[in-house]
Amino acid sequence: MGKNFKGKNLMNNFFVKNIPMILFIFIPIIFLWHPSWLGFFGFQPYWPLLWLLPWSIINGSINGLLFGLFMGLILDSVTLDSNFTQIPGLVLCGVWFGTIKIHSGILVGHFRYGLICSIGSFLCGTLYFLQILFKNFSDSTFLLFIPSVQNILAEVFLTGLFAPLMCSQLLRIFKFFNYKNLINYSRK
Amino acid sequence: MLIRRISTARWWHKKKNWIFLGTFLFLVFIRISKGSIYKDFYYFISKPFWPGQFQQEIILESINQESLIKLNLLKKDNIRLREILNLQESSKSDAISAAVISRKTGSWWRQIILNKGSRDGVEIGSTVIGPGGLLGRVKSTSLFTSSVTLLTSPESKIGVWVDRIQINGLLIGLADEYPSLILYSRDADIKVGDFVSSSPASTLLPANIPIGIVKSVDKPFQTKKTAKILLLAKPHVIDWVKILKVKI
Repeated sequence: MGKNFKGKNLMNNFFVKNIPMILFIFIPIIFLWHPSWLGFFGFQPYWPLLWLLPWSIINGSINGLLFGLFMGLILDSVTLDSNFTQIPGLVLCGVWFGTIKIHSGILVGHFRYGLICSIGSFLCGTLYFLQILFKNFSDSTFLLFIPSVQNILAEVFLTGLFAPLMCSQLLRIFKFFNYKNLINYSRK
Repeated sequence: MLIRRISTARWWHKKKNWIFLGTFLFLVFIRISKGSIYKDFYYFISKPFWPGQFQQEIILESINQESLIKLNLLKKDNIRLREILNLQESSKSDAISAAVISRKTGSWWRQIILNKGSRDGVEIGSTVIGPGGLLGRVKSTSLFTSSVTLLTSPESKIGVWVDRIQINGLLIGLADEYPSLILYSRDADIKVGDFVSSSPASTLLPANIPIGIVKSVDKPFQTKKTAKILLLAKPHVIDWVKILKVKI
């Protein structure tokens, strides 16, 4: 029984320590899964930003940059477009999110996350769109791509809508587990 | 007196930095392998949610409609092919049935992932058709999965055939619902409702696979004429597809 208890405790400790990383791994999964009931007309929020914002707020710009890069690498590998990359947008957002401080007002904080994620999504979408335009510039077909700006707008709207709900919860989870880790370390 | 630098101050003495480096190299490996580890992992965890057989009736109805259109096209094509040499061959025995386990049909990334991979004989470049007609081409394969670039993806560019005016064109995905057809002739008499199929001259796709119908025609620009195409196969609802091997 004691052995079982120890094993359970080890398992719990593992989850406590690594909950942000477990959620990090699930971002590409949800990106691939693309659940239709969580979006409108086939559009989805830009999921990586919803994880990156709370992570960067707690861990700072350098961590934001690194995990923006990591996230970009994974997402680029699961999407097919080998000519275009999501890394620049995510890295910039990671660095920027790291400079943001937590707001004391609960309600203002919630809506602030929405606005920040919307701007981040706009940045990522625009950088991606510019890559498509640049690649097709020589074919003179790039003008045909102008209507696809709707993708950026739809993502900005949906990310802004989901961010207050998800970022606040993730921030609470990350803060809680950071705090719990600190206690564990201090006991050691 | 010499002050010696404490050895732990060097970056390579910190375990954390090595963990970061290791993670980075691992992610680079994932990137180079085109995320095959991720896709195979996704294959296993999404297995319980794969589509069932309930769509069979809808699929059979769509296949009937598709067959009627195809029959008319094949009759005309047969006459033409008696005169010229056939460039492509494709038989039903080469078809592999597969279920759609992931679909991204909105935003910039337009792709579907199928539950058949290189283990089942799927090859890069194979044509993927669904009820209604052409969906796209296989862009990459992992052991258990294959990723398909949809016709609406900004990466998709294929040669097509407008049967009524007997002209070849280029179908470009624009990351929205309606890909654009470019005809390199200012005077091409293309009209709304014209039927578009895969080009008999294409070396990438089998000939005469239904693709779509002209939805709207834009004003001529320079020496080109462009039109928006309404696709017959709807990737956002299709659960089962067929993968055709292309013989080149």
